[in-house]
Amino acid sequence: MKKLIQFKRIVKEFDGKLVLKGIDLDIYENEFVTLLGPSGCGKTTLLRILGGFLTPTEGQVLFDGQDISKIPPYKREVNTVFQKYALFPHMNVYNNIAFGLKIKKEPKDIIEQKVMRMLKLVNLEEYADRAVTEMSGGQQQRVAIARALVNEPSVLLLDEPLGALDLKLRKEMQRELKKIQQEVGITFIYVTHDQEEALTMSDKIVVMKEGEIQQIGSPTDIYNEPVNEYVANFIGESNIIDGIMLKDYQVMFEDKKFDCVDFGFAPNERVDVVIRPEDLDIVPKEQGKLKGIIKSVLFKGVHYEMMVETKVGTSITVKMRVSEDRPVFNEAANEKISANDFYLDVEDVAELDEATIVARADAQAWNPDTDEFISIKEIEYTIKQENGTYPVTFRTAAGTAVTVNMIVKDENRVVNKEYQEEIFAVNFFKKADEIHESIALETDLKTWANASAWSLEDGSPVEITSIHYDFDPETVTTGVYEVTFATEGYEYKVDTTDFHPEGAEVGLTFTPEDIHIMSKEQ
Amino acid sequence: MKQKRIFSKLVLLLTGLFFYLPILYIIVFSFNDGRSLTKFEGFSLRWYDKMFSDSSMMEALGYTILIACIATVVSTIVGTLTAIGLSRSRKIMRSLVMQINDLPVLNPEIVTAIGLLMFFSSLGISKGLGTLILAHIMFCIPYVILSVTPKLRSLDPNLADAALDLGATPFQALMQVIVPQITPGILSGALIAFTMSFDDFIISYFVTGNGISNISIIVYTMSKRINPSINALSTVVILLITIALILINIIPIIQEKKKGRNAK
Amino acid sequence: MKEFRNMAFPYVIWIAVMIVAPMLLILLYAFTTAGNDVTTFHFTLENFTRFFSDMVFLEVLRRSLFIAIITTVICIVLGYPIAYIIANSQIKHQVRLILMITIPTWINMLVRTYAWMGILQDNGLVNQILGFFGIGHVTLLYTDFAVILGMVYNFIPFMILQIHASLTKMDKSYLEAASDLGADKVQSFLKITLPLSLPGVISGITLVFLPAVSSFFIPKLLGGGQYVLIGNVIESQFLTSGDWNFGSAISVIMAIIIMFSMYLTKKVDKDESAKGGDTV
Repeated sequence: MKKLIQFKRIVKEFDGKLVLKGIDLDIYENEFVTLLGPSGCGKTTLLRILGGFLTPTEGQVLFDGQDISKIPPYKREVNTVFQKYALFPHMNVYNNIAFGLKIKKEPKDIIEQKVMRMLKLVNLEEYADRAVTEMSGGQQQRVAIARALVNEPSVLLLDEPLGALDLKLRKEMQRELKKIQQEVGITFIYVTHDQEEALTMSDKIVVMKEGEIQQIGSPTDIYNEPVNEYVANFIGESNIIDGIMLKDYQVMFEDKKFDCVDFGFAPNERVDVVIRPEDLDIVPKEQGKLKGIIKSVLFKGVHYEMMVETKVGTSITVKMRVSEDRPVFNEAANEKISANDFYLDVEDVAELDEATIVARADAQAWNPDTDEFISIKEIEYTIKQENGTYPVTFRTAAGTAVTVNMIVKDENRVVNKEYQEEIFAVNFFKKADEIHESIALETDLKTWANASAWSLEDGSPVEITSIHYDFDPETVTTGVYEVTFATEGYEYKVDTTDFHPEGAEVGLTFTPEDIHIMSKEQ
Repeated sequence: MKQKRIFSKLVLLLTGLFFYLPILYIIVFSFNDGRSLTKFEGFSLRWYDKMFSDSSMMEALGYTILIACIATVVSTIVGTLTAIGLSRSRKIMRSLVMQINDLPVLNPEIVTAIGLLMFFSSLGISKGLGTLILAHIMFCIPYVILSVTPKLRSLDPNLADAALDLGATPFQALMQVIVPQITPGILSGALIAFTMSFDDFIISYFVTGNGISNISIIVYTMSKRINPSINALSTVVILLITIALILINIIPIIQEKKKGRNAK
Repeated sequence: MKEFRNMAFPYVIWIAVMIVAPMLLILLYAFTTAGNDVTTFHFTLENFTRFFSDMVFLEVLRRSLFIAIITTVICIVLGYPIAYIIANSQIKHQVRLILMITIPTWINMLVRTYAWMGILQDNGLVNQILGFFGIGHVTLLYTDFAVILGMVYNFIPFMILQIHASLTKMDKSYLEAASDLGADKVQSFLKITLPLSLPGVISGITLVFLPAVSSFFIPKLLGGGQYVLIGNVIESQFLTSGDWNFGSAISVIMAIIIMFSMYLTKKVDKDESAKGGDTV
């Protein structure tokens, strides 16, 4: 096959921002090439450079061996199907398709022949006189393709052409586009962020990230042998686990050694291990290479998607002291007020404000007859940034007051070196009634215990995904209860056709061929 | 509920009366046989007669129409091209030009007027028809830009690219794709420019010279004495603007009909 | 796409010459003495001190502001209900009603102001009607009333159109949400409609106050030859006494007052919207 287009060290800068960082790419005749990547990765920019709508800051675009960087779009032998089609709204279907031919001043009868042939190709013979604004998305899409193809370009550029269509139509058009490409036999360069589209239609996929090409290859290559975590993630759902390559054909992850088919890494090199969800099998616990608990089951039509947790995340357990509700009753004003003691971290004292105190102490005042809330007008407290017990008094306008303690304690946090995470929570006091009345108990428990978790690498927050307690919120009475907060642990996504209930303890198994090893990204 | 509706109707009726009373008043008294502006003494066309034989009035009418036509054509073309150019320009450039462009719209007219007056004088340009036309073009363009820009913004940014991609030169893309899409904006810009120029008083009053007047200047200078020909002239002005308004409102309807016929 | 970018260039030069240069010229004249030539400028604040030390000019300034503020207030008080009624009528009526408000603004302002002279005259239409009801002659023309009436008449359409635009732009589901949450009609008007239409009122104020404070032919026609507002002072400086430096200084003062009042209204608007989140 012949090289049709060559991008040579293409650099594009917008207002000082590098959008393309030196792209080298060859495209051959009659290929269906897909540029794949998330928005902002530079794929559309590359396409627009080829279309002639942008000039590269540096580098060359060769077309049939000739530099076309300086040639304006209207003199290039490429045509484009634009995002949202860019059909001319003031022209009907026929005139839209005939536009390019009329510009070239081709004879009328030739134009008519060519347009009609194109309408047939895209199955729109009946629609020549229709206004484009009165057509459905799928039909407009076909008009846009016909309008570009009628000019007999040697390359057709397609900029996310199916983005605006619904799922069913998109699948249909994918098949149709592939059929059209085979029929007209020219190069298609297709831009999308949809990996499924890329996998079904392309001869060659170019995966891009932040202005750089990550991998070029056939759909099977890219799917089965992604070069790094980014490509693996982008090209479909994957389980990616931290591991260590002990030696050729042997990798260790989750503290266990496994055989694999990969080699050529340095001894003890830290690597990413990829296992596709469909390659994992669920077996009885004893037979599994890994053991875990099914956390969730989603029915996906043909198969079930299950999350199996093999190891819990970082967790912390705190004590909840439940007491009876004994509000202060001010008979003269007919007001009741209540609040509870609470714990505070030393580090939080500096940022303490009245709203936080009210929330943490759960201070509230109300009229016992009507149950209407009365606002708390005054909060009196003194606090120092050191361990100790500090009283705080809440008072309404009528003078009804309650005093509780703020207990400042050293940090109460758990560091998890393996995950590079830290989790924090404090013991707390609560009234039985408040637990009975909570409408979102897990969220309330997090607030009451002031629970939070964050990454030690960059301080970003980590979600607390599991909250465990062994009391019945409906009937809880006075006493001390343990509440455990935990972040997400190691989880594997498993696609299987066999059903297993949530909470079941199962084993996971896979063959050495199912494991794919990638170098860590720089 | 019913009471409320009656109240609303009454308010709207009074509003209409308030807005149209002076206009009707002028039209009615332009046909008055007497000199009075307060007592109708019978129907006559004598003031129209007088107006048509008054050379200064006829000259002013002619200048007004001439200036309005030139200012409309020039400002519509320049304003449209500028708006298209700006829509493709860098953001800094665009916002700077748009801000300066807003000045004549936001500034008190009298400030714009004295600025132009001093500007023309300090360049030694003698005041007259030329300065009037320049000034009118100057204050009309911003309105054209302001009415074309929103239409451009709602345009698919790829339309021009699509035309170029299909082999159209930039000029062909402009005339065959962009301009047809923003025609309503261009037309309303032209209408605003025309009426702005046609009705302008303050700026014209300051930058004119050489005995050249437009209708507003004539009305202003003559209104010090009672002169019923002003009523006749005003009626003609009201008539002209009404015709312009009707034309502008009818053209889109005719276009729609044509389109409908073509589709069949 | 650079293809069309160049089309804006001629206008960039044009605005530099026709908009920016005249503005700079006003500033230059305001801060210099008379009799400059191209090479020598005598910078001075004399033009400004002259204005502020003369009681006559200060009185004119006071009256101009007074008239403009009264006009603006009347335009809000009358314009809001009208805009509200229009915004709440059926869509097909709305188009017609808005046209009813717009058409007069297309017709020469001077002609429409001139018409009021006849209506307000001592034996004009208004007095004839008053006479019919047995109310004696009232002098209307050449009074503050006539000037304010003329200004309200000319500028109120801008207020109505702005308020109407902000009212129709408002999402009706806010009102549904408010009534769902228990607000009655008066409450949802005060808590939802009014704050959300405030931007319209603000731009309406700009469009009324600005021409009102700088107007000079309305006071001339309806206030009479002796009736002087700041616009008339500027006019006479340029067209009768020929003192361009002083005239420029007065327009700079006027521009500053306008900018300051615009800043104030915008600030009030912001504070109000910030307060909107408050509890009852």
